[in-house]
Amino acid sequence: MTIDQQWGDMMDETEFGYPPQQEIIEGDIKKIISYEDRDEKVVKVTRFYKLTKLKVPKPIADRKKWRKFGDCASDGPGINPANSMVGDAVFLTLATKKDQQEKKEDDVAEKMAKLKASGQGMVVCRICKGPHWTKQCPYKDTLGVALDVQQEEANAVKPPVRAPGAYVPPSIRKGEPQDSQTRQRDENPTIRVSNLAEETSEKDLQDLFKPFGPVSRIYLAKDKNTGISKGFAYITYNRRESAETALQTLHRYRYGHLILQVEWAKPSGS
Amino acid sequence: MKPILLQAHERSLTKILYNKDGDLLFTASKHNLPNVWWSINGERLGTYNGHNGAIWDMAVSSDSTQLLTASADQSCIIWDSETGKILHQMAAKSPVRSCGFSLTNNILCFTTDKAMNQPCFIKFYDLRDKEQVATNSPFRDIQIEDSKVNRMIWGTVEDYVITGHENGQICQYDWKTGERLRVDHSHDALIKDLQLSKDRTMLITASKDTTAKLFDAKTFQFLKSYKTDRPVNSAAVSPIKHHILLGGGQEAMEVTTSHTKSGKFEARFFHLIFEEEIGRVKGHFGPINTLAFHPNGKQYSSGAEDGYVRIHDFDQSYYDFEYDF
Repeated sequence: MTIDQQWGDMMDETEFGYPPQQEIIEGDIKKIISYEDRDEKVVKVTRFYKLTKLKVPKPIADRKKWRKFGDCASDGPGINPANSMVGDAVFLTLATKKDQQEKKEDDVAEKMAKLKASGQGMVVCRICKGPHWTKQCPYKDTLGVALDVQQEEANAVKPPVRAPGAYVPPSIRKGEPQDSQTRQRDENPTIRVSNLAEETSEKDLQDLFKPFGPVSRIYLAKDKNTGISKGFAYITYNRRESAETALQTLHRYRYGHLILQVEWAKPSGS
Repeated sequence: MKPILLQAHERSLTKILYNKDGDLLFTASKHNLPNVWWSINGERLGTYNGHNGAIWDMAVSSDSTQLLTASADQSCIIWDSETGKILHQMAAKSPVRSCGFSLTNNILCFTTDKAMNQPCFIKFYDLRDKEQVATNSPFRDIQIEDSKVNRMIWGTVEDYVITGHENGQICQYDWKTGERLRVDHSHDALIKDLQLSKDRTMLITASKDTTAKLFDAKTFQFLKSYKTDRPVNSAAVSPIKHHILLGGGQEAMEVTTSHTKSGKFEARFFHLIFEEEIGRVKGHFGPINTLAFHPNGKQYSSGAEDGYVRIHDFDQSYYDFEYDF
């Protein structure tokens, strides 16, 4: 029988015939290409594994020959991606209380400076927008808006009273950090260093940048597969001044055979 | 650090454990299947199928050939760690809470719960006498009259075991005489975990009273205390650095009432001598129940209420950090 097949039906049939899993070994990198169903779509998944050889004591080498057993007896050699996966990077920054305190003081000072710059939170006259209390405004009488002002004061924002048991949005619940933590991280003074030699290590960067003040994080960009440095790094300081001096001192500084480029890091996400 | 996530347990983790060489990582949960993994890449090697209840504790012999598990199905099993076959199963009259091999692997010890009208027992078997495990006749039973034993580990030397009790006391019991050698009342709530430092001279306790304490394992001389704001479920001493690693968090039942960002589920690093917190690692979305350092100190793993085990290999910056005082 030759009935014209709908293309949709044909698509369904291919479900049983995904291309078989492929394994390609290129040097020390093993590439596994497989096809999986995800959200009713066929997705090609390529996984990279780095193959390494290690010298280990004999008992460990002997155990390496153990066969898989129990529920994983049917797993082939190598990692079963259903059980083991690589998680998102986490950061461990070891610091003493002294460092942390310094940072806190710095944060407060910084916030004050910001407030001053933005004008918010500081005293602003509602009549002439000058930096004094409204009542002391020299134009209070001349402009004739004072009447409204008093009314406004009465209507000044009071926290809304909630009936007990009413829904309270998470953002204003007690004890909730109001995203301040995440924001702080972004606000930390970070500089970007580029034109680094390939062989520069994190330790070298630490030696180079520590003298300007306590460093809270160093991120050296490396190639995912080869582990070779990509030639740039981000350095986050606890204090803005340290970052500034580092930037001024080390920009166009000769490090090894290269001239460093140092600039402020652009905020992530933009 | 990019952690490796191990996902095989359907319920919360109760114990993770490296063997002496550090190449194998054993994990157990409230589900009835203990697992074993290669610690270097997180590849699962096998499961030990045979228990019918939650696994509360595990121990591995120093030559890594045998695994011992304590289960709520009222039995303790000795497994062939290579094949996952049961070598011996010892039945008890109440759930088995904790277990361990002695340093020479000659003596086996496990403790049972005070439950089902049974008192709490510490039982000792001599493995050189094949009859004892085969006929389930321990050569010594110590009956615990007061508070139940929650954790048991072998002491600095072969002579005694250290027990952590429900009321917070820690004790030493001599297995030759059955005598209680020492008792310490520094903690005032349930002892969740006991671990020794690598040289077996220091004992670290983790307690529900929100502190972890460091003792001399032999004399029970109090050395240091690490205070947090939440129950401590597990504590470990780094084999290479003066670091203490604490894991804990709210009780599982309180988890739903707090924000994930409120930061109660982190592993925390303390300085061993200065008792000061020096760092945190995020990642779990449930309280950490059990922690262990790799014997070479370059890796640590944590198992949590969320059912995940996370293996962390330290970055270079970890080794570079020097405590500035």
